[in-house]
Amino acid sequence: MLKIEDLHAEIDGKAILKGLTLEVNAGEVHAIMGPNGAGKSTLGYVLGGRPGYEVTQGSVTFDGQDLLELEPHERAAAGVFLGFQYPVEIPGVSNVQFLRESLNAQRVGRGEKPLSGGEFLKLAREQAAGLGLDQEMLKRPVNVGFSGGEKKRNEMVQMGIIDPKFAILDETDSGLDIDALRIVGDGINRIMRKADKAVLLITHYQRLLDYVQPDRVHVLADGRIVRSGGPELALALEREGYAGVAA
Amino acid sequence: MTQLLDLPSNRDEAWRWADLGGIAAAAALAPVAAPDAEFLDLPGAKLLFVDGVLDEARSDLGPVTLGPVTLGAVDAGDHPLGRRASHGWTLRLAADAAADPVQVVHVATGRENHVAAAIELADDAAVQVVETYVGAGWSNRLARITLGKAARLMRSVRLLQAAGFTSLREEATLGEGASLVTTVLGAGDAGTRIDGAVTLAGEGGYAEFGGALLTRAEQRQECAVRVRHAAPNGQSHQLWRAVAADRSVASLAAAVEVARHAQKTDGEQSLRGLLLQRSATVNLKPELEIFADDVKCAHGATVGELDARALFYMQSRGIPPARAQALLTRAFVADALDRIGDERVREAFVADADAWLERAL
Repeated sequence: MLKIEDLHAEIDGKAILKGLTLEVNAGEVHAIMGPNGAGKSTLGYVLGGRPGYEVTQGSVTFDGQDLLELEPHERAAAGVFLGFQYPVEIPGVSNVQFLRESLNAQRVGRGEKPLSGGEFLKLAREQAAGLGLDQEMLKRPVNVGFSGGEKKRNEMVQMGIIDPKFAILDETDSGLDIDALRIVGDGINRIMRKADKAVLLITHYQRLLDYVQPDRVHVLADGRIVRSGGPELALALEREGYAGVAA
Repeated sequence: MTQLLDLPSNRDEAWRWADLGGIAAAAALAPVAAPDAEFLDLPGAKLLFVDGVLDEARSDLGPVTLGPVTLGAVDAGDHPLGRRASHGWTLRLAADAAADPVQVVHVATGRENHVAAAIELADDAAVQVVETYVGAGWSNRLARITLGKAARLMRSVRLLQAAGFTSLREEATLGEGASLVTTVLGAGDAGTRIDGAVTLAGEGGYAEFGGALLTRAEQRQECAVRVRHAAPNGQSHQLWRAVAADRSVASLAAAVEVARHAQKTDGEQSLRGLLLQRSATVNLKPELEIFADDVKCAHGATVGELDARALFYMQSRGIPPARAQALLTRAFVADALDRIGDERVREAFVADADAWLERAL
C-alpha cells in the first residue's frame, strides 16, 4: 500500500531523513520507534505534506500513486490520515463543522456524494461514543480547552469519521492515562484493523503496542531505519534501550 | 466639487489614515445603473434612498419622518464630512415605545450624495435600525443619536458598495442606563471612513461600537471611533476585526476617554488585524485617556497572519487550502458579527462576509 524508497528530507536546509526505505502492505500495522530527534515526526509530516518539509531525494508511492506529487488535502482524499502528536486548536470553528467539512471535502474529491447534516451527526455521535468523548465536545471549537488526552481521543474520533485507508499516528499514546490508552488502542483496532487498511504507529514506548499489536517494528535512528523485526523487537527495545538495540 | 477642496488633511492625526483622494475620486464616478435594493425579511419601516433621495414608491416610512435634520448638543456642524449633510430622516420614539425594526437601504449610482439622520429615543424606548449601502459613488452620512434614560438602540450597518466611497459620521449621546450597540460590516469594494463619537452622558450607560472591515485589491477602509465616559459606572466595548488582502489597507483607531468623575468605568478595546497576504496593511491605534482613578480599561491590539499550523491541520483532513483559509478567516471575524442580537440580521451579515471571502480567496 505504502512504499517509501531512499527518502531524504530536510527542514530549513538541515537533513533529517537520510535514506529511509519502508514498505507497508494492506492489512498490516507497523510501528516506528526511535530516540528523540531520530526523524519520526518528520516522517509523519513528510507523508502528510506539511509545508517546510522538503524532500530532496527518494520516492513515496501510495497505492501505486506518487504521494509526494499531491497536495495535503489530496493526500487525505486519497485515503491518508495523519494523527497529530500535538493536535491544533482552532478557535471559532466547531468540531462538528470542521469534521463535516473534512469528510465532505474528501468525498467530493473522490467523486462521492456529500453527507447531509443529519447523516453526518449520526456518524459523529457513534464515533464519539465509541471513543468515550463527550457529545458536547463535538459542538465545541476544535481542540480548544481540551486536555491532552481529549485531544488525542478527538484525533481518533476524526479518524473514525473519515475512515481512511492508511493512518500515520504520531505519538498518539503521549498524554494518555492508562484507561484512555486502552480506549484509544481499541479505537485504532476497531477502525483500522482491516484487510484493506494499514497503520504506521510512531511511538517512543511499548505501552501502546500492548493494545495494538504491530506486525512489524522498525527502529529509526539518525534518519534511517537501522533495524526491523517482529513485535519482539519492541520488547527488546523496552528492555535494552535504543542504544543497545540500534547499535 | 468645490466643497472637496476643504477636506481635512492627512497631516491631521484624526485623519492620518483616511483615503481623502478616494473620496474625491468617488465623487467623480460616472453614473452607473442602480443595483437591486434588497430589504431583509423583517417587519417594520423600510426606507429606500437612491442617490440621497427617498424613493417613496418603494418605501414604507412607518414612524420615520423626512425633512431637515436638526443638530443637537453634539456639534456635527464642525465635522468636515458630517456638515455636508443637513436633510434626511428622523426617527423619534416616545417614552416606553418599542417599534418594529427600521431598515434603510442606500443606493448610489455615481457622483456624491449626502443624507443626515436623527434617531431620538425617549426614556425606555427601544428599536433596531439596519442600514445597507450598495452601488457606486460617494455616499456621505451623518447620524445623530440621542438615547433617553434606559433607551435601547441596536444598530447594524453593512457597507456593500461595489465602488466609490462610504463615509459615516455617527454621533451618539446616551442617557442614564441607556444602551447602544452599533455593529458595522465593511464587505464591499468601496473605500470607507467610519467616524464615531459616542458620549455616555448619563450614569451606567452601555455602548458597543465595533465591527469588521474586510478589504482587498487596492481598497482602503478605516474606522476612527471615540467613546467618552462622562458619567460613572458606564461600560463600553469597541471590538473591531480587520481582514486585509492583496495590497489593501484597513485601519482601526479606537479611543476611550474617561472623565475625572466617571469612576467605575469599564472600557474595553479589542482591535485585531489579519493579513491574508504580506502585501496588505493593517493599522491599529488603541488610545486611552483616563482622568478618573477607579476604572477598568482593557485594551488589546494585534496583527497577524492565519495560523499555518491550523491551515495544515485542516488540509491534512481533506479541506482544500482556500476553504481552510475561508473557515479560519470567518472564525476570526465571527466575534465582531456575533454582537448583532437579531439572528436574521446576523445571518445576513455573516452571508455578506462569506461572499466577500469567496471573492477574496
